[in-house]
Amino acid sequence: MQQLKLTIALIIAVLLQWTLRNVAEPFAYIDFPLIIVVFAALHRDSLKAIFFGTFAGIAVDALSGGLLGASGFSKTLVAYAVSELARRVYLDNLLLRIPVIAGACILNDLVYFGLHRLLGQPSSADLVVTVSYSVIGTTITGTIVYLILEYFMADRTRPKRREVFSARRQTRRRNPIRLNK
Amino acid sequence: MVERSQKEVWRMTPWLVIVLLLGNFILMAFDAKELTTQQRVIRVWSQTAADFVQSPVTSLTSSFSNYFGSIANLRSAQTENDMLKQQVQELQVEVTGKQDLASENQRLKALLDLKEKSKISVLPARIIGRDPSVWFDSSIINRGSLDGVKLNMPVVTNGGLVGRITAVSPLTAQVDLITLDKSGVAGVIGEIGSSNVLGVVKGTSKKDLLEMRYVAGSIDVQPGQIVYTTGQDGIFPAGLKVGEIIEVSSESASVPHKILIRPSAGIDSMQEVGVLLYEPPVRGEFEQKLPNAVSKDKTHK
Repeated sequence: MQQLKLTIALIIAVLLQWTLRNVAEPFAYIDFPLIIVVFAALHRDSLKAIFFGTFAGIAVDALSGGLLGASGFSKTLVAYAVSELARRVYLDNLLLRIPVIAGACILNDLVYFGLHRLLGQPSSADLVVTVSYSVIGTTITGTIVYLILEYFMADRTRPKRREVFSARRQTRRRNPIRLNK
Repeated sequence: MVERSQKEVWRMTPWLVIVLLLGNFILMAFDAKELTTQQRVIRVWSQTAADFVQSPVTSLTSSFSNYFGSIANLRSAQTENDMLKQQVQELQVEVTGKQDLASENQRLKALLDLKEKSKISVLPARIIGRDPSVWFDSSIINRGSLDGVKLNMPVVTNGGLVGRITAVSPLTAQVDLITLDKSGVAGVIGEIGSSNVLGVVKGTSKKDLLEMRYVAGSIDVQPGQIVYTTGQDGIFPAGLKVGEIIEVSSESASVPHKILIRPSAGIDSMQEVGVLLYEPPVRGEFEQKLPNAVSKDKTHK
């Protein structure tokens, strides 16, 4: 069930990335698919995270003026890096996740920019300005999205009282009548 | 489903990452190679699929903004109405003058036995999407190959030249703006025929600025002059308005001018554009054989 929820979240993120820039320009600085990819990686689900990274990246690239596969490459790399980090360091606290998503965003942007330079397709945007705005936008949105996702992902079926408290050892009462026998 | 232990997953992940990264890299290499030549099939499919999402969202948001915008505009409607009435009167006078000029032009053409050029038909289109990546700034329009749109067709607004088509799917097409770094337009300062100040108009990656290069420093160029397309680039037809010169930096007669141009088309705020269903004339065999010429089969795909 959690896998399905996360997949739906990724699809929604890609759709938002496709459409929101046409509504307002500042939305371009929020990388919605990256937020979901990092979320999957933080849950130590490395396989799913890297697959998410590849597919979300290619979906974004398909409608972009950039190279097809560049975003897929950078997001796959970010997913692997974050999942390896989450395997070694305890990152279940929301406060610890904030610098992780900011770092992931910087790495993603630098790899994306570098790949385009490498293949002779320079971007028209300024590196420092774009990375700065992107980090701010993605980190703030990512924090809010993580709160929402954690709420939906949490197993909210109320456990029975019997399961919460350990079963009390029932000592067998001695029958006083029998004792007299 | 096969259950894998955590250890197996950790062992498998780096290999999978390498495979996926390689896959992405091959895609990129393929895309970079084919950028100026052929269509990219994956891109075409994705754009077609995305159209089903982009179009309704754009219609919904634009209808909302139009509704609230019309309420706000009511306040200035009266003054605007008076101004428009005056403009209509002025335009009527201008039209009458133009009609005289047009008939005179026709008569002169007939005298010179000139063949009348066929008009280029314009296909109106709406911008339904923008580049999802912040690093680039292409636009998606709601017209595709089913409407007759082809690669490299020019895109205009009533203000002037906007860009050209760089990818076509059956329902949508991708437009690269003239403000992009990699774009280039053959331009002339002043109208063709009356001027021979030629140069190349390049993008500066700023939406409100273009740069014209290779104009000799010995030629007198003034801010306020208009730049038009020459048609020599083999993509855009001649006579399209590109922009107005806003700054000229000159050093000496031997150094080319540095000319900055403001695009005539409101690229920032455009919502509706027109695709010129124009295909450039096929170059002669002599031109095809030139060392720097792109081969014929690649340019017109």
